[in-house]
Amino acid sequence: MLVFRLSAQRPPKPERVTDVVVTRLEHVLEVDPDLMRKHVAQQDIPNWDMHRIVSARWEHIRDIHEQWADSIVLAGEGSELGAGPPEPMGET
Amino acid sequence: MPGVIAAGVLDELVAICGEDHVFTGRSALFNRARVPAPFPVHRWEEHIPQAVVMPTSAEQVSEVVKLANRDGIPVVPRAGGTGLADGAVPLRGGILVDVKLMDQIHEIDLEDLTVTVGAGINMQTLNRALAPHGVIYPDDPASYPCSLVGGRIGTNGWSLLGGRYGHVRDLVLSFEIVLPTGEIVRVGEGGGRKCRKSSVGYQLKPLFIGHQGTLGIVTEATLELVPRAECEFAGFFLYDGFEPAYQTMRKVARSGLSTLTGVMFFDPEKVAYLRRDDEAYIEVPDWVKAVCGISLYGSRCEVEPAVGEVMRMGRELGGRYIGDEISSADWACRHDRYATPQHGRTRDGQVVLMSWHCEDAALPISQMPAVREKWHQIARRYVERYGIFDDWGMFAYTNAGFKPWGDVLMEIDLGLWEPRMDEDNWQAFVSLKREIAQTVLEHGGTMSAAHGGTRAGDAELVPTEMGSAWDLMKRVKRMLDPNNIMNPGKQMLDEAYEED
Repeated sequence: MLVFRLSAQRPPKPERVTDVVVTRLEHVLEVDPDLMRKHVAQQDIPNWDMHRIVSARWEHIRDIHEQWADSIVLAGEGSELGAGPPEPMGET
Repeated sequence: MPGVIAAGVLDELVAICGEDHVFTGRSALFNRARVPAPFPVHRWEEHIPQAVVMPTSAEQVSEVVKLANRDGIPVVPRAGGTGLADGAVPLRGGILVDVKLMDQIHEIDLEDLTVTVGAGINMQTLNRALAPHGVIYPDDPASYPCSLVGGRIGTNGWSLLGGRYGHVRDLVLSFEIVLPTGEIVRVGEGGGRKCRKSSVGYQLKPLFIGHQGTLGIVTEATLELVPRAECEFAGFFLYDGFEPAYQTMRKVARSGLSTLTGVMFFDPEKVAYLRRDDEAYIEVPDWVKAVCGISLYGSRCEVEPAVGEVMRMGRELGGRYIGDEISSADWACRHDRYATPQHGRTRDGQVVLMSWHCEDAALPISQMPAVREKWHQIARRYVERYGIFDDWGMFAYTNAGFKPWGDVLMEIDLGLWEPRMDEDNWQAFVSLKREIAQTVLEHGGTMSAAHGGTRAGDAELVPTEMGSAWDLMKRVKRMLDPNNIMNPGKQMLDEAYEED
């Protein structure tokens, strides 16, 4: 049985990703709350609601895909982001 | 301030459309005064209509327009109200004709591959109805889930899938339009309602595509259906500078792949913006400065072999593949691009609520690097001087229907701190827009590929862009709309009535 515990709904302390972005939940990146103090206030979002938002995005993406084609062809390759920038052209 | 409609006229509107389809309440009027683009909120009341009608037939529209023409009352057509160039924003009040109730599917013809619909239907709704039949109507704007067929015709809209299936002008076979005098006519390819090409008579259909509501109100349209694609592919590649991404876009666009549906490009300013403010944030290393995305649609036997060629071309100039998961997910988001963050930054980096201005243009692809630089120079100057703007970067798509080479749809996204709007800031915004549009003309482009030249900042330049055709355009307007009632004040067309 799923028990609702308020303490489990509070996101952990943020980890810094860049000078303007933090993360508290896996795959969820947020604008640094320190930048939302002067003109706008950051919403206090419980974990369940953030998970719902992330999950809804994937539902939306699936729905959109289904509207345009019967299936998706993939290259079958993962991300090369970790490979770093390419070698400068013309150099050996 | 716009004038007041006489009570007798309201009674006549009720007699034509029915009591339930005539609205004069504040919410009905104010909500139809603007579109989802920066708006002079300090002068909101100048843009409200005096009455909203929601007719259910071409005959009702015709009667409303005849009434307006008789009494010289402005008429503003409105479909989804999602346009980004103020085509549906009343400039002189009057009667706003909202076509949303004309949203029926009249006929699905699976033999001749057409569908006939009312102007008020949304493309996503239409495609859900078409899905069981294995066909789609492939008009795919940023506003796909919320814009309507009538507005798409009025705007001459651009489609994300246009490189493969064509844009609105290619996808609309014929349509019924109520002219400013109330006459109902059907225009198409000659007299063939479901024909794709004719050499008979004058080609009148293009005249009424992209008129921004200044030449009439579309009430029904017969549209192209295409067989639903067996599969799609999207690949995104990351580059360490503008040049390799731009050169990749050029090469892919002219590759001749028959399933190529479009090529997309993000410049360094766009990548920087996505890094700081996109809610669908993807962690991108600092070395990444530009993005090129490539999409294919078609049969599996065509798409699968083409994927290998796309992967080769994407990497040829040093591109790094972003991976299957992000590629396919980000491409899905391209179909629904109204979900912008709606926030930006002040000069000191603080987050503020901002409305989104998307300035679009079509340009020869050779001009893209120079125009991009000039656009950002202009934007930087205004950001520094006024403190209410934010440069959200530039992106581009291949522009031509069926043949995705030669020119590009270029857009620069700008945030505008709308709660700070006053007349000085509004005039600054208009001036910023005008400088961006002027740059486009200097480089041989057209001020808008997708949205229209109906916003302040663009509208004043329409005569310049039209050049030797401007006088002819004015004569056409005056001939079809002798009393200047149809969406008056747009695109400098008032000039048509100043000359004898």
